[in-house]
Amino acid sequence: MSRKSVFTYLTVVLMLSTLILGACAQPATPAAPQIIKETVVVEKPVDKVVEKIVTATPAPKPTAAPKPKGKITVWMWKATQDSIVNPGVVKDFNAEYPDVQVEWVTYNPQDVYQKLPLALSAGTGAPDVAYVEDSHVTKYVYLGGLADLTDKVKPYLDKMNQYKWAAVMKDGKYYGMPMDSGPVVLYYRRDVFKKAELADDPDGVGKLVATWDDYLQTCKTIKQKTGLNCFSSNKANNYGRLYEMMLWQQGMGYYNDKGEVTVDSADNIATLEKLGEFWKGNLVSDEQDWTDNWYADFASLDKPVASLVEAAWMGVFLKSWIAPGTGGKWGVTLMPAMKAGQVRASNDGGSGFVIPEQSKNKDAAWAFIEFVCARERSANKFFAAGDIFPSFEPAYNDPLYIEPDTFFGGQVTRKMYTDVVPKIPKGYIYGQYYQEMNGYVSTAIQKYATGKMSAADALKEAATAIRKQTGLK
Amino acid sequence: MAESASALRAPARPVFPAPRQGLLREIWKSRWAYLFISPFYILFAVFFLYPLLMSIYLSLTEWSGLGPIKFVGLANFQRLLDDRVFWQSMQNGVILFFMYVPLQTFLALVLAVVLNSRRVRGFQLFRTLIFMPYITNKVAAGFAFRLLLTKNNGLVNLFLGLFGIAAVPWLEDIWWARVSLCLLIIWAWLGYNMVIMLAGLQTIPSELNEAALIDGASPVQAFLHITIPLMRPVILFCVVLSTMGSFDLFAETRSLAGGTGAGPMNATLTPIVDIFNMAFGNLRLGSASAMSYVYFAVIFILTLLQVRYFGREES
Amino acid sequence: MLTTRLSRLATDVLIYGLLAATSLFMLIPFLWMLTTSLKPPDEIFGFPPILISSHSSLRAYQYIVERYGVVRSLWNTLIVSAAATTVQLVFCSLGGYGFAKYQFPGKKALFSFLLAMMVVPFAILMVPLYLIMRDLHWIDTYWPLFVPFAANSFGIFFMRQYISTISDELLDAARIDGAGEFSIYARIVFPIIVPGLTSLGLIIFMGTWNSFLWPLIVLKSPSNFTIPVTISSLTGQVGRTVWNEYMATAVISILPLLIIFLIFQRRYFEGITAGAVRG
Repeated sequence: MSRKSVFTYLTVVLMLSTLILGACAQPATPAAPQIIKETVVVEKPVDKVVEKIVTATPAPKPTAAPKPKGKITVWMWKATQDSIVNPGVVKDFNAEYPDVQVEWVTYNPQDVYQKLPLALSAGTGAPDVAYVEDSHVTKYVYLGGLADLTDKVKPYLDKMNQYKWAAVMKDGKYYGMPMDSGPVVLYYRRDVFKKAELADDPDGVGKLVATWDDYLQTCKTIKQKTGLNCFSSNKANNYGRLYEMMLWQQGMGYYNDKGEVTVDSADNIATLEKLGEFWKGNLVSDEQDWTDNWYADFASLDKPVASLVEAAWMGVFLKSWIAPGTGGKWGVTLMPAMKAGQVRASNDGGSGFVIPEQSKNKDAAWAFIEFVCARERSANKFFAAGDIFPSFEPAYNDPLYIEPDTFFGGQVTRKMYTDVVPKIPKGYIYGQYYQEMNGYVSTAIQKYATGKMSAADALKEAATAIRKQTGLK
Repeated sequence: MAESASALRAPARPVFPAPRQGLLREIWKSRWAYLFISPFYILFAVFFLYPLLMSIYLSLTEWSGLGPIKFVGLANFQRLLDDRVFWQSMQNGVILFFMYVPLQTFLALVLAVVLNSRRVRGFQLFRTLIFMPYITNKVAAGFAFRLLLTKNNGLVNLFLGLFGIAAVPWLEDIWWARVSLCLLIIWAWLGYNMVIMLAGLQTIPSELNEAALIDGASPVQAFLHITIPLMRPVILFCVVLSTMGSFDLFAETRSLAGGTGAGPMNATLTPIVDIFNMAFGNLRLGSASAMSYVYFAVIFILTLLQVRYFGREES
Repeated sequence: MLTTRLSRLATDVLIYGLLAATSLFMLIPFLWMLTTSLKPPDEIFGFPPILISSHSSLRAYQYIVERYGVVRSLWNTLIVSAAATTVQLVFCSLGGYGFAKYQFPGKKALFSFLLAMMVVPFAILMVPLYLIMRDLHWIDTYWPLFVPFAANSFGIFFMRQYISTISDELLDAARIDGAGEFSIYARIVFPIIVPGLTSLGLIIFMGTWNSFLWPLIVLKSPSNFTIPVTISSLTGQVGRTVWNEYMATAVISILPLLIIFLIFQRRYFEGITAGAVRG
């Protein structure tokens, strides 16, 4: 054989053997990380709960007015869609409106936020119904192209969580209907608190985290006694959600009643610095949100994070696919207040429905929206199925809300959410320019967290950019 | 028939004493040529020239795509001067350029020389293997890299762990994020550059190299003083292409970094992503158009500089 | 004697080592994509890394076909790529022929327009093009994906160069025989340029298949997505990161092009080197 062909063969053999050896090698194994099993816990109790709702709140009597008919296209995320379809809300809807056909288009959130404004501005291609988060809906309200729903929502103005209406309001008119809210609570791991020789019942923990300073102390204790992180707060890819919750609970945000930018106000800076103390104290984990390692932190049996400040919808995520193996280990309590005696409630997320003006079947669209959002039965069904917290307050009078949840150690978590919701102050976070504001502030937080700038400088830089971009003061 | 054929082939010369009339005659005689190129140019006019002019107009307005168009003159450009994020994206383009272009060009040249030398068997196999990444769509490639570069238990960190190296935060640190992006770019385009260089090398007569070696030059000397100067145009081509490419990364950053692809603290934000977000995210069509022109201007100047720099040095 | 043989050996080792290392670097992402797509989720981040195991299966592929309409997406991509290729080949070969074989007033100016076109970045055109598509009611259809780019200046350059190698005498002889201009193109020129058309066609086909930014802008309904857009939209859902499914979609998106490339390698290489090396 010629030398050249020998070398070619050797090269190929070398490559193949590297691959094979890599696959078979058994080196000294470092501690294997917790691996998430695929089994998704199916919410078996849904059927029982749904039955209870059916018996407790009978279906409303059909009205005499002519029923809308035809086909409607609904844009929705998969998780919410499942929560509406699976427990039979659509079936109920069709029972009352037999001539309306619902056509689902499942999108991921980013796609909706890219395609909806384009469709609105193009004048075609928009659905009859779109499910949009409060954080983004105001932009579309001001963009134009959404149907005016003022008359339709009038009967429900005082029945929905009050703070939700601001997101869909413009010049006294309403352009959307709230569906769900994101009341913020503190989730914690009972086993971690026990290990740190701290109280592990909701009231006890609630006292331990009564203020953010108390929370800081508690985290230090947990770190000392167990070596575990208190919660997750990524530095380099921080998206500002926790910071926003902290601002919201103080009735503050990115702007004020006059529409002036408050991103660099003394209070905003102080709030960021409060969050900074957790980074400085090395008390938090640096996993990036919504990545496998972040999920692993919750699912871990021996090395989890101790707590998490997040909205009600996180509960079902933990239960069903993030940490299904940790049933019974979690508890829920009120989030910390900024200062003693202040508000221990905030909002993160929350969504509603809009009807694009170009829809050719607005009556059917509204019928669908009203049925899903403003009927106790529907609201409680999607709540039971997906822990999507309804904004419709009459729904809270249901035995569903005083059911203990085994995942949370038998705690009556739903009542906690309904207690929190009325306390949520008016928010100055979401709004017409939320995306820009969140973008700049997130970058500022990242710079601050990674030690590149002081909180004041970083927020000032963000504020200047926002003012230039939006033309606000 | 024959005379019209030769008239078609002859250069257009005006017929005295009436040049205009001659021109019209030429045009009529060349009617087939125009017919052949007109489908192309009609589309060119509608889908290139017209949008180009429209975008100049748009850059002087403020518009969300819906409702009235507001004329604002040069306000968008003025605002752009202070737009930190945009200039960060331009800076990222420059940083990325220096991070991967020299390395990639050099590697491509070396690989091409190696493959071109008659010492290597399996030329076709290697050329194919090294080129293969180029034909992948960059969304798929970006996700594959995201998986490989996952900090905890991604394949790369596991491999590094065998040597006792701590887990690298590939996608979570400003500079590592850029390195990750460069890895993806080099993976995708090294083969392409190599193939171009190979073609260039094959136009260099091998006698030149052999003559130098006979005269006593070492292979390295021959490489430096004969190959590289002769390859100058091809190298320039690759460098210019890479320059434009490093500002134009969209799918790569989006799938590698997630979200809009900006990365930690906008470390991997590229101008095209910023313009895209401005136009289709924030719905500021005027600002986006203004940004695209400034972007064009910067790239154009950079490219001109490169051509000048490379073109001037003669050995 | 011995030293030169040793040094030659050393050089060979270096050379083959470099080639092997580079080839391995290129292969690993492909390999990892493939094996991940076959793994059950709990083996994806396992240590030591698993290539293939008793749990490997095609389940992820089944799932994405059933749940995410991947087949439909592939079909869309195929149609769009084929349409783009056909249209561009027709327009560029006609135009290239015109430039290669004819003299006419304004030829230089028109040609320099083409050069200008290559320099202008897509960023400038994407917003107005979108608005035009909107006004034509072409949003969310196949049209925007191939009509606007039918005037591809690289294509026309390539064809012009290719056609200019055809001898003029051949064409003149045909004219003397009384052939009309278009039949000269169709009957003489076209058959000769088929290899060039193949090369160019491959480049256009694969480039259109892989394009992402523009389809992302103009396509709305998931059932109209091309495969790169489908991959991107899959991965944005809130929920577990199902890497095996993402990788399965990635593999499916690459496989057709890989096969085409491996079959038509030579033509493809001819195509991409032609523009770069001459002048």
